Amino acid sequence: MRKIWIYIVVVFISLWILVPIVYTIIASFADIRDYYTSLIPRKYTLKYYEEYWRLGVGSALLRSIQVGLLTITLSFLIGIPAGYSIGRLKFRGRDVIKVTILFFRVLPIVIMAVPLAVLFIKIGLYDTLIGVALTHTAIALPFVVLITSSIFISIPRELEEAGVVFGLSSLQVFTKITLPLAAPGLSAAAMFAFLISWNEVVAATILSYLNRTLPAMVLTPYVMGTGGELPDPYKFAAATIMIAPALVFMAYIRKYLTAMWGAAGVR
Amino acid sequence: MKGAVKPKVLGIIIAIIVVVAIIGIAAYYFTTLPAPSPTPTPTSPTPTPTPTPSPTPTPSPTPTPSPTPTPIPTPRPLVKIIFASTQLAPAAEQAFMRGLLTSLLHEKNIQVEFVPLGYTDMAAKLEAEITARAVTVSVIGGLATEIDYFASKGWLEDLAKFGVLPERTFVDTALRVVDEHKRLYGITSFVPWMTATFVIVVNNEAFKYLPEGLTREDVIMGTEKWTWDMLVTWARNIYEKTGEKRAGIPAGAGGLLHRLLHGYLYVSYTGYQSKYFNSPEAIGMWNMLRELWKYCHPESTTWAAMADPLLRGDVWIAWDHTARIIAAVKAYPDMFTVVPVPRGPVSRGYIIVLAGLAIPKGAPNQDVAWELIEFLTRPEIQARIAENVGFFPVVKEATPVIVDPGVKKISEGVGAQLATIDGKPVFIPMLGGKAGDFVAIYREAFERIVLKGEDISAVLAELEPSLKAIFAELGIPEP
Amino acid sequence: MVLSVNFKLRVFSPYILILPTLIYVAFFTGYPIVYAINLALTGSTPALLQVITSPRLREVLLYTTMIIVSVIPIQLAVAIFTSLFFINRFKGRELVLYLFILPLAISEVAAALLWYTMLSSRGFLNKLLLELGVISRPIYFFGYEFRDRTLLAIVLTEIWRATAIVFVIIYAGIQMINREYLEAADIFGFNFWQKLRYVILPLLKPSIQTALIIRTLFAFQIVGPILILGGEYVRVMATEVVYWYSMRMNPYMASAWAVLIGCIVLVLGSIYIKLIKPVEV
Repeated sequence: MRKIWIYIVVVFISLWILVPIVYTIIASFADIRDYYTSLIPRKYTLKYYEEYWRLGVGSALLRSIQVGLLTITLSFLIGIPAGYSIGRLKFRGRDVIKVTILFFRVLPIVIMAVPLAVLFIKIGLYDTLIGVALTHTAIALPFVVLITSSIFISIPRELEEAGVVFGLSSLQVFTKITLPLAAPGLSAAAMFAFLISWNEVVAATILSYLNRTLPAMVLTPYVMGTGGELPDPYKFAAATIMIAPALVFMAYIRKYLTAMWGAAGVR
Repeated sequence: MKGAVKPKVLGIIIAIIVVVAIIGIAAYYFTTLPAPSPTPTPTSPTPTPTPTPSPTPTPSPTPTPSPTPTPIPTPRPLVKIIFASTQLAPAAEQAFMRGLLTSLLHEKNIQVEFVPLGYTDMAAKLEAEITARAVTVSVIGGLATEIDYFASKGWLEDLAKFGVLPERTFVDTALRVVDEHKRLYGITSFVPWMTATFVIVVNNEAFKYLPEGLTREDVIMGTEKWTWDMLVTWARNIYEKTGEKRAGIPAGAGGLLHRLLHGYLYVSYTGYQSKYFNSPEAIGMWNMLRELWKYCHPESTTWAAMADPLLRGDVWIAWDHTARIIAAVKAYPDMFTVVPVPRGPVSRGYIIVLAGLAIPKGAPNQDVAWELIEFLTRPEIQARIAENVGFFPVVKEATPVIVDPGVKKISEGVGAQLATIDGKPVFIPMLGGKAGDFVAIYREAFERIVLKGEDISAVLAELEPSLKAIFAELGIPEP
Repeated sequence: MVLSVNFKLRVFSPYILILPTLIYVAFFTGYPIVYAINLALTGSTPALLQVITSPRLREVLLYTTMIIVSVIPIQLAVAIFTSLFFINRFKGRELVLYLFILPLAISEVAAALLWYTMLSSRGFLNKLLLELGVISRPIYFFGYEFRDRTLLAIVLTEIWRATAIVFVIIYAGIQMINREYLEAADIFGFNFWQKLRYVILPLLKPSIQTALIIRTLFAFQIVGPILILGGEYVRVMATEVVYWYSMRMNPYMASAWAVLIGCIVLVLGSIYIKLIKPVEV
């Protein structure tokens, strides 16, 4: 009986997630008039993708990946120590500092990007991948810190203290005991950082224009543009282009994630 | 956190905030220091490998009447410049431009990077680059109103220093706008590039439901029988016979509804775009619009462009910019007819949209930039543009041979509109930074009068002072 | 207990660890914030004051509140229940897990485009219902007349897309709940709801706090879906920022709205932190 309920929920979840994605992908390959008239289009075309390819979608994709990886690296290097500190160590003003870090993320990105653009031009970071990655790191940091802090909080102290009893130094306790236990949370944080960078469109658009990341390149004619918005079929193709690499990425991460979750969850 | 915030903690927090504030203020001033000396930039091609002697001997368009710019006898090293444009952003048009620009590459070894940008992005970018004195864009292409804004901020070079472009005559309407800018800002801010207008596109199905007293020829030729009231009757007819609301206007975010209001309807009903904003004639116009709205497709408030609704068959009578319907007409030319707009009691008002080319202040490679401008305004190139993208030439010598059936339909419709006897072409007013406020007033009027159903005179009376204030502040007569 | 390290280092090391983050974030975002506050307070009537006294404020606050009050509680509840659901072992669990968190990878703009495909008048839902004969004319979700349905569409899109964010945090938190507590609860005869209330939720507090903060922060900045699906007639605070900045070319008012968002989020964030105290294990 229980099993039947489980499977009902499974089917529901699957449909809920898959239908919008699959249907849009189908729509992006469909001849547009056919799409308008029938539920499942019968005629297909690659036209819109060809156009996007000619406009340089491939290199934009590569750039987005590079920026994403850079963002993970930077935000982890800077943010994990802070997350550990807030989550683990007792010190005065902890809550207030938590709020302060958050405080920096309250403004919409569009307001932040223009002064940054001016600054970047001055120091030569404009239109570079590093510049965009640095900005994305700034955007992602508060979240990385928050997530890792809540993960570190939940790691039982006894295990760490057991490590100390066995003669491990503080650093070894951290690397051999705390980190592995925190791995699921950390992978969540890494995914976060990458995705924030991957999907970020406003700052990427303002801070670059020749070396554009994927969302900036694909969505510019659409967001705040003159000369007409994107006709329907380009919308579908744009959505698909933006989603597809992410789907692949998530497939890889999935294996890693569930292994981590599985290992950590079983006590 | 146990207990109240201890003073020591408070002190630390305050210290952090103070440090942040100092960093912020310092950085702010650091990046907005005014330029100490005027930049002697016109011929300083720093980033790209342009050999310095070349700007002079190459056949750049100087006042001396030379034969049409022929390919340079001696090959010059590759020069790269950036051409940012708010126009021709959609994928198909972009692809066309890149193809077009490869001819320039072969002819003069100039590699032009065509970069479509949204208007706000372009403004932000220009501001950032010019403030930091590190301009990378050599040529910008935009609407005359956009260039107006940039010129009002002092971001453009005076193009008079490059002299006159040989062997082409720009149409008077375009030159009038250039002169207007000269009057307002003291410089020749742009060279006309292309022109467009807003028209009506009719799905041929709709002709089956023409009302009494209106024939297909009336609509296509734009006779005096083709009035806005008749359009309403037509739409009502369709609604009564088919149960569907088939008229459509781009009333969504990013749609150009406001142009319909100030450039078409107000001119057709009051003779002016803003002068008689609140007047009995204007009230008559709003009443007509309310009536029309009853037969407009309800999703109109979500549309920025009418190409899709036309393609879908949701809309049979649409008003929009030629560039925003071209995709539909090109895809299925036999389905549509492009016709002139209807007239009102006073005239048949319509807007001439002008796009131009300008050079940002302090741009690199300005002589090469001028060569690009020369290229784009050549009669043959103007013809090619017209044949492909739904914009039309500004150069009299251009004789496009339009082959694409879709583009042909558009040019026929536009031609008919330009040829109407009672046609009254107007230009979008040059309002610098106040353009946004101007647009907002008309859009607010639409929302309150047509969508929310508020009392017409009350709304107009309430909004009129802000409108008049704009012109008063700028010191220009009301258009 | 075992504190053998130098006392001074112990006291200051937390601050040292945090310093890089603070400096980095202060530099990158502090500067634009100061810039924005500066802009918001300029003018003979400071822009901020204009915003607070403008007639649009009521409408904007109303829409913003409606969206946020609908989206966040639903997402939290769904996240908690699905987390509990996924604790069960069943065949294909990994696959469904992957599917459920798939929307994480999808940007808000792409998600909005997806749901546009689903709900537009020639979209999936309408075509399906028309084929099945349930309706004879399309149901319109977008358009001024249908603003309520548009709100529904926006809420739906956000739930579809962003629940995964909350879920990931909560699920990681649930993983870390020591099984022994649950087994103890079973021994004491707690039923599902009691377990939820007395064991799971309290132990989840840090995760819930984190999730709420993050979700609220994001929620106030949702712009893409609202602009794409609602046009300019559904107005929330974040779209006002974009409106003033790009349509009206007025960075002063845009900054004022942004500052307003900032203040509200700060207040909410502080409330969350104070109210939801993490329970140390």
